[in-house]
Amino acid sequence: MALTEASLIQCIRENSGPNCDVDGESPLFSSGMLDSFAMLNLIMFVEAQTGMDVRAEDVTLENFDTARRILDFASRVTA
Amino acid sequence: MIAPTLYRLFTGNLPERADKAFLIDGDRTATYAEVAAQADRIATQLQCMGARPGDRILVQVRKGIAEVAAMLAATKLGAVVVNVSTAWTSEQVTYVAQDCGAAICVVEPPMGRVLIRGLHDTTGRILLTAPCPECTGVPAIASLTHAAGGEEAPRQAGDLAAIIYTSGSTGKPKGVMLTHANIIEGARSVTEYLRLRESDRLLSVLPYSFDYGLNQLTTMMLVGGSVVHQPVTMASEIVSAIATHKVTGFAAVPPLWIQIVRLLASAPVALPSLRYITNSGGKIPLSTLEQMPEVFPGVQVFLMYGLTEAFRSTYLPPERFAAKMGSIGGAIPGADIFVIKAGEGIAGPGEQGELVHRGPLVSQGYWNRPEATAEKLRPCPELAHLIGDEPVVYSGDIVRIDEDGDLWFVARNDALIKTSGYRVSPEEVEDLVYRSGMAADVIAFGVESDLLGQSVQVAVTLLDNATREALLAYCRRAMPPYMVPQRLHVWPELMPRTASGKLARPEVIRACGQPQSQPLH
Repeated sequence: MALTEASLIQCIRENSGPNCDVDGESPLFSSGMLDSFAMLNLIMFVEAQTGMDVRAEDVTLENFDTARRILDFASRVTA
Repeated sequence: MIAPTLYRLFTGNLPERADKAFLIDGDRTATYAEVAAQADRIATQLQCMGARPGDRILVQVRKGIAEVAAMLAATKLGAVVVNVSTAWTSEQVTYVAQDCGAAICVVEPPMGRVLIRGLHDTTGRILLTAPCPECTGVPAIASLTHAAGGEEAPRQAGDLAAIIYTSGSTGKPKGVMLTHANIIEGARSVTEYLRLRESDRLLSVLPYSFDYGLNQLTTMMLVGGSVVHQPVTMASEIVSAIATHKVTGFAAVPPLWIQIVRLLASAPVALPSLRYITNSGGKIPLSTLEQMPEVFPGVQVFLMYGLTEAFRSTYLPPERFAAKMGSIGGAIPGADIFVIKAGEGIAGPGEQGELVHRGPLVSQGYWNRPEATAEKLRPCPELAHLIGDEPVVYSGDIVRIDEDGDLWFVARNDALIKTSGYRVSPEEVEDLVYRSGMAADVIAFGVESDLLGQSVQVAVTLLDNATREALLAYCRRAMPPYMVPQRLHVWPELMPRTASGKLARPEVIRACGQPQSQPLH
C-alpha cells in the first residue's frame, strides 16, 4: 500500500492552512480543522495512493477523524 | 414592526418564547431565556473590560451556544461583532484584530495563548471561552459569575452591527461593513422566500463568520425558531443530525452537497422532517444537481447567488428547479438586480452582462479601504435614468438572462478569455474538460497571443490512465475550435488551494509560464 503516515500528514497540512500542528492523532474533522473542501481532497488523495474507491458511507469520524484512523481504515479495505 | 437592531431581533422572542429551545449543541439545549442570561453575563464582563458602543469585538469561538451568546453580548453593548472563522490561523486573526482595531477578542484558549504572546498590550483585551492555566489573570466565559447587568446600548438601524472579513484568493482579507438594517433586511427577505416559521429547526453547519451562515441564525431569531449546531462538516454526521434532531431546513455549499449527495445515493436515509435545502457560494455540478430530487424526495431545493458585499442577490424558486437546473433565478424580495452591458445599457433576453445589485442589502463598503470600496460600490451610469447616482454593488460576475428573465452564471468578469474575437469563459472550458472524465483539477486561462488576442491554455491534473494526447483529442471533439486549448500544462500532483479550499488559480497560472507570442499546436 502506497499510503504512508508522512504523506498523509503532508496532504492534511496542505489542506488545513499553514499554521496547523498535525500529527497522527490530531482530530481532523471533529475539531473543525478540515472542512468539506479538504475532505474531498483528502479522499481523492487516499484513493490515488491506494487505488481503492472510498465509499461515501465509509467516510465517518471513526474511519477518517485522524491520520492514524485513515491508515487503519485503508489497510483494512486493501488487505 | 420588525426590530431595528440585531439585539432586539433576539429579545423580541422574550418573554413569549423564554422556555422554547433556541440553540442545540449536540445533547445540550439552551432556551431563549438561557441564551439571554448567558449573553447578559458576558455583556457585563465585556463592559467591565471597557467595551463601548462602536467598539469592534472579535469573536473566534467554535460553533455553539457560547459563540452565539458572545455575539449577542457584544451587540447588546452596541459593539460591532467581528466573527472570525475557527479555521483561520493566528496570523489571520492578528491581522483582523489589528485591521479593525478590535477592542476585545473573545477566543478559545489555544488562540488566546498565541495572541497574548503576539499582540502588543493585550492586557484587558482578551476574553477566553474557558480558563487556561498558562494565562493567569485572563478572564474566561466559563468562569463568569456575574449576575445579569449591563445596559443595552441604544443603536439605530444605520449603525454598524458587524464586519465580515472575506478572504479572496489573492491579497489580504477585507472587512465588509454591515449595519443593523443590512442584517435585519437579510433576515426578512430570506424568511419570506424560504417561508420560514416558528416551527422551523435549521441545521447550522456553515460558520457564523460567513454571512450565509449568520443568516440562518438571524432568520430563526426573527421567527422564533430553533438552530441545531453541527460543527463537524462530514456528510455522515450531517445526515445523522438532520434525522436525529428532526431538522426542517439545511444550508450548504457545493463541496458539501457533492459529498452528501454521494452518500445518500449509495446509502439512502429517510429524512421525513426535511422541508427544504439551500445552496449558495458556487455552482453545484450538474451531475450532483440531477441526483438531488432522488436523494431528497419531497424536499424543496433552493439554488441561490450572492456576494458578501450585498449578502444575497438571487434565488431560483424550487418549483422551477427541474426546468431551470443550474440557474440562479431572479431577484430576492427587496433587491433590485440588473444585468449591465458596460457602455450600452441593460441586457435583454439572451444577452449577458455584469450583475449589479441595488437595494437595502448593499453593505457600507470595506472597513478602512476607501479605494477598494469606491471600486466595488459606485453609481452605475447605465442605470442613471432609473436610480440616479445611487451606488450599487458591482458583482464582477457575468451572467446571462434568458427569455423568462432567469439568470445563469457565465464567468468572472476579469477572467473572460478573449480569443479570435470570441469571449470564452474559463468555467465553460473547465466544465468540458471535467466531462472528459480524464481530469481531477482543471484551470483554464488566457495567455497573450499576437495572432489570437489571447489563446486558451489549460492546467490539469490527470486521472489514472489518462494521457495528454487523449485529453487533447477529447477537447478537439467536444469544443468549438476557438476553445480548444493551445497548450495543456499537466501537473504531476495536487494543485495548491487557498485557505477557503478553492483552487489557487493565480498561483497555478503564474507557474504555467511566460506569456507567448506564438500559439503552439
